[in-house]
Amino acid sequence: MSDSPAPSAPKPSSSVKLVLLGEAAVGKSSLVLRFVNDAFEPNKEPTIGAAFLTQKCNLPNRTIKFEIWDTAGQERFASLAPMYYRNAQSALVVYDITKASSLVKAKHWIAELQRQASPGIVIALVGNKLDLVEDEEEGEAQEGEGEGEGEEDGKVRRVSTKEGKDYADEENLLFFETSAKSGHNVNEVFTAIANAIPETSLKGPRGGAGGATQAALGSGAQDNSRVNLNANADAGPKEGCAC
Amino acid sequence: MFLQNLVQKAQQLIDPSVLPGPLGNASANRPSKSQLFRHQFRLPESQNPLHEITAELTLPKSKNPGSKSPGKQGSWDKNNWDRERGTHYVGQLHLSEQFLCFSTVNTSFVSTASTSASSAFTGRTHGTGPAGNGFTLPLCAVRRVERLHTQSYMFALSITTWNGFEPASGDTSGAPAPPKLTIQLEGSRQQCERFCDGLKKGLKQGVKEVENMRTVAQDCYSEYFLYNEFDQTPTATKPDGTPRTPPDTGLGSIFKYPGNSRKLRDRSKMRLWHEYLKENGRNTTLVRQPDFHRLIRVGLPNLLRGEIWELTSGAFYLRLQKPKLYQETLAKHEGQHSVAIDEIEKDLNRSLPEYAGFQSEEGIGRLRRVLTAYSWTNTEVGYCQAMNIVVAALLIYLSEDQAFYTLSVLCDRLLPGYYSITMYGTLLDQRVFESLVEKTMPIIWEHLVKNDVQLSVVSLPWFLSLYINSMPLIFAFRVLDVFFLEGPRVLFQVGLAILRINGEELLDATDDGTFISVLKSYFARLGESAHPKSENPKYRAITNFQALMVVAFKEFDGITQHTISAERTKHKTAVLDNIESFAKRTSIRNLGPESKKLSTNDLGFLYDRFYAVLYERQQRAKVLQAEQDRRQKAARSKATEIVTGIPGNAPEMGRVGLGPSPTQMDYDAFREFLAGVAKWAVTDSPTAQSPMREEKTNGYFGGTTRSRSTSTWGSGPEPAEHEFMQRLFSRWDVDGAGALSLQNVVGGLAPIKGDRDIMSSISYFFELYDDDQDGKVDREGILRISEALLFLSRRGLSSPASSAVEVEVGPDGQPRNKDEQFLGAVSAFIRRCFEYADPDHPSHQTEKEATEDLDKFALGDDDEDAGDDLMDLKEESEEKTEDTPADDSKPSEVTSPSAADDSMLARPSENTFGQTAKPHQAATANAALDPSSPVHITLPTFRMLVLADETLEYFFDSGFANSFHLADAPLPSSTVTSQSLLGQQSQALGAPKDAMPALSPGGAGAGVVPPGKGLRGMLDNIVTDGMRVASEVRRRMDEAQKEIDKGASTRGTEDDSDDDEDEAGRDLLEGAEADAGIAGRKESGAGDRGESVLESPVSLDKGKGKAKEAVGEEKEGGEKELPMPPIESKDTMFER
Repeated sequence: MSDSPAPSAPKPSSSVKLVLLGEAAVGKSSLVLRFVNDAFEPNKEPTIGAAFLTQKCNLPNRTIKFEIWDTAGQERFASLAPMYYRNAQSALVVYDITKASSLVKAKHWIAELQRQASPGIVIALVGNKLDLVEDEEEGEAQEGEGEGEGEEDGKVRRVSTKEGKDYADEENLLFFETSAKSGHNVNEVFTAIANAIPETSLKGPRGGAGGATQAALGSGAQDNSRVNLNANADAGPKEGCAC
Repeated sequence: MFLQNLVQKAQQLIDPSVLPGPLGNASANRPSKSQLFRHQFRLPESQNPLHEITAELTLPKSKNPGSKSPGKQGSWDKNNWDRERGTHYVGQLHLSEQFLCFSTVNTSFVSTASTSASSAFTGRTHGTGPAGNGFTLPLCAVRRVERLHTQSYMFALSITTWNGFEPASGDTSGAPAPPKLTIQLEGSRQQCERFCDGLKKGLKQGVKEVENMRTVAQDCYSEYFLYNEFDQTPTATKPDGTPRTPPDTGLGSIFKYPGNSRKLRDRSKMRLWHEYLKENGRNTTLVRQPDFHRLIRVGLPNLLRGEIWELTSGAFYLRLQKPKLYQETLAKHEGQHSVAIDEIEKDLNRSLPEYAGFQSEEGIGRLRRVLTAYSWTNTEVGYCQAMNIVVAALLIYLSEDQAFYTLSVLCDRLLPGYYSITMYGTLLDQRVFESLVEKTMPIIWEHLVKNDVQLSVVSLPWFLSLYINSMPLIFAFRVLDVFFLEGPRVLFQVGLAILRINGEELLDATDDGTFISVLKSYFARLGESAHPKSENPKYRAITNFQALMVVAFKEFDGITQHTISAERTKHKTAVLDNIESFAKRTSIRNLGPESKKLSTNDLGFLYDRFYAVLYERQQRAKVLQAEQDRRQKAARSKATEIVTGIPGNAPEMGRVGLGPSPTQMDYDAFREFLAGVAKWAVTDSPTAQSPMREEKTNGYFGGTTRSRSTSTWGSGPEPAEHEFMQRLFSRWDVDGAGALSLQNVVGGLAPIKGDRDIMSSISYFFELYDDDQDGKVDREGILRISEALLFLSRRGLSSPASSAVEVEVGPDGQPRNKDEQFLGAVSAFIRRCFEYADPDHPSHQTEKEATEDLDKFALGDDDEDAGDDLMDLKEESEEKTEDTPADDSKPSEVTSPSAADDSMLARPSENTFGQTAKPHQAATANAALDPSSPVHITLPTFRMLVLADETLEYFFDSGFANSFHLADAPLPSSTVTSQSLLGQQSQALGAPKDAMPALSPGGAGAGVVPPGKGLRGMLDNIVTDGMRVASEVRRRMDEAQKEIDKGASTRGTEDDSDDDEDEAGRDLLEGAEADAGIAGRKESGAGDRGESVLESPVSLDKGKGKAKEAVGEEKEGGEKELPMPPIESKDTMFER
């Protein structure tokens, strides 16, 4: 697990903290599992608190090592989230395209991130479970019609591609529709995030913790009540996970 | 914090001596005596410590495991008992309603023992659980109690116990008899006798429970297990011929228990337990001796694990009390749906999915039922992820029933707040854990801080899922074995030990990722040898897990329940603050697009105010409830038996962070809410009860029966009751839920406060009164609008500049009040409304618009109904009309000075209140005023009428919006209170009471007249309405006058005001007469409720009286000699 990211090639390597957020059972953990192990488990245990995984992503000119924080989706775990998204440079907000309410929740998360997380965080909005609707339609064929169809088994698309895309454009987010089951678009999401991370914000490889990290720690080291997570000055006194 | 302040304020109102316990902040931190007692012995919430006494427990000599001599038991001789005695323990013997408990761990709950040392005794007993040696004996398991002959002055009891079944004897088969317990009481004779007396009483009650005990014991594997000697196949049938089958010992019995049973040495453990249970009793009759604790530490055998968990956690006693609760809960809610159920369904297939049992429908079904049943019994917790994992683990060893009760104990007691909606317990314990790491391992702690590694990221899942998804299952179960016995401290001890053992590696980790992977790989190696390179094979055999247990329980033995409680207290506030600010932030952000119209400050203010009201109300309700309970209790039991604390399970309240909280505001709460943001929503007559609202015909509230028990309004100002508020409520209640969420409130307020556009403000108001949304407001609507305008303005309209009632001096030197101006405007408005109203019947009006023809037939029905209604009232109104002409000139006189030089003066005198005097003329002049011809106004008309008047224009432009005070100009509650007490204030100021005898009824009636039958009659007649307006004016003028007098600002007005007062007095008398009917009705209504309100203090006194009586009785009882059987003559105190 802890493969030391010693860059063998001259390609610079840097780690990026990524947090996954979204409603329960939209497939956050499955997306990570697909990305990290290229595997799929139909009955994945719900994440308690958060899971931590790492995976490298090779770009033409550099290597990004993702440190992925996969969070619990149930509503009441939401108050733990600040603990996980603090200092995150990127976030993956996931919804289930067969469940309209999950997009609402995703929007909440995006609002939360935009106000509370590190400034300049790269956010990707991902509509998952594309495999469930692939048979009946390709992409954005039937807009909004899913709403009317009464099938309750969740096999019907409830969020059109356009709806997700429009929202993502409006908020300036990356946008993808994926299937963790088939693997469709999963690597693309992470690659896109890796590309979107501004080079300046990248930390050096582990061990020689970069200037950015050090600076952030300057105050934290003296602060005993570090669980307050007031990592960012701009977050103000309102910020704070509740642990 | 705002909320906290409110809560504190509320708490100050509660007499702390009456209500100790969870309501007081200080006492909330220190659990009550009975709570400690219950935690110590893991008893159900219904149990209280009634008696305690120091005692020595003697157990029969331990039989040599090698030589099984059944004869030994028989040779036991009660005359000879102290020579034959085996092991003995000194400790405290406790008696509760249904239990007899003994523990060698110091467990004194005597309050006299320690007021100063109370923290010390909590330290010893703070929910330590059934540690130490002793027993927890349900009284129904006592079969016989004998008083023993003693050589010296001693008081000794011999207790024979049973499990509900006949024990084995010579010829009958059965499980061995549990041991006879000999208990020597050490106390004064009187103490001993008192204790025995209590015991006898409890034993008699216990008889009823025997049947329960049989049922419950039958589910225990020990009953089956002990039936025969170990290693023999149990007899295939019971005495009655039914086949003897082992009870359900969880999914493991079907799908195999996890782990290799040979490796776990399951068989030898079973042998040891067989020996232990044979000698020390089983399930209900189990006696804890040192071996019991040792056997648990080495890990429980598969088949007995469930039973011992159930016993040590106390779930067994819960089941004993309500053996059918699980099945009943399931049956009761069959087919129902809830959010929790949806959440449960999502996770059923992903709970320990690698275990075969949970790949089957059987296992999934059990999991579903247990989680669902619990979510019904505790809707506040409902379902939290991680519970699925914990329950899945329990179900491997426990039957469904057992798992259900065990889950209850877990959530409600062992892991308080862990799974609650805010998970404050989890977060709090993470903080506690961090602080313990800091204390015990400062080097590791500093390293974590330096590298910005968040410890709780790693440790939170350990606590939340009790290590079940962190460690391999077999080891997690070993932790659980100890956890159920010793309580939450075990989680901390194990967690600290994990860090200690991995300390060196952790010191190399500089980021979260490495930190996590170090621990992950450690958990994977738990089964490996801790000393793989050791020469000594014994050392090599020690696994990492064993080493972990040693470190946890030896090195961190100092982590007691007391340590944890103290730390929890220390961090609680900070944790709750964090949760609350997060909740507030999130909640405000998610209020929807409408909320964007309000500033963040305002939203924050609304959030605080909204929840403050809900909490305050909840708290009041609880206080009332607690008071009621207390009274009942006082009536029931003797005073000495009343525990000092109120029931320990009463939840703490008043903080969002503590979890489930009401999120919906009913109408009464809404009124209270309004009273805090708008002056007009504060009642004029706070002491009197707001009038009983009669059933409304449009029936919006018809369905909801509002409880009147909430009539106490707490510390805040008492809200008014007005039809306008009802309309506002139903308008804001967009979902038709009969209650408002914060989102509703914000959504409702946003267009008022946010739009700031006179046109939309006018439409808003109009729509509020357009009941059928046909774009028309009928006669009654018009009157109601006017009334609402008066209602809203009766405390003056606050402009941003000033929020108080404005008194201006007009150019002519007369005091002029904006209120009056407003009244004038309203009355003009009424008149004009009818002037410009469109009649519904074309015959009355020629310039009828073609479009309205379409509507008229649709309206026809309504109109007829209204007409019918009016028939009865006509007589009454006509009588009133006859009276009024006497007033003819006076009202106009009264008003003219004040209205003089006003722009209104230019209008006909009827514009002001003069019209009241000329109803007949008016009626004839304007067909619209004829009650029999229905009229209506449309929005354009309404708009025109509003814009035609400066005052009204101002009102709709900003006055109305500004009457809601949000964050920018909050309404200090003190101001509001004084406002609400205006009437009293004036009295206090020495205002001549006699001068306005009719003021209170008339004023209150006018200001806060509820819609109702009487009112309807009145409203349908302009005359009475006008009169009402007049009385209102007068009242206001008086108030204004008082303001002036008070301020002594304008001396020169005295004469005028005197005149005014005289006339006002006369007029008011008239007004009062006219209003008498209503006032009378109102009073009777208020009277009824007044009684019910009075009831509480009265019966409170009664309650106190009873309590006193009870004390008296007790004293008498204490003085009387207890009827104790003479020592030698009768031995058996109790026998079944």
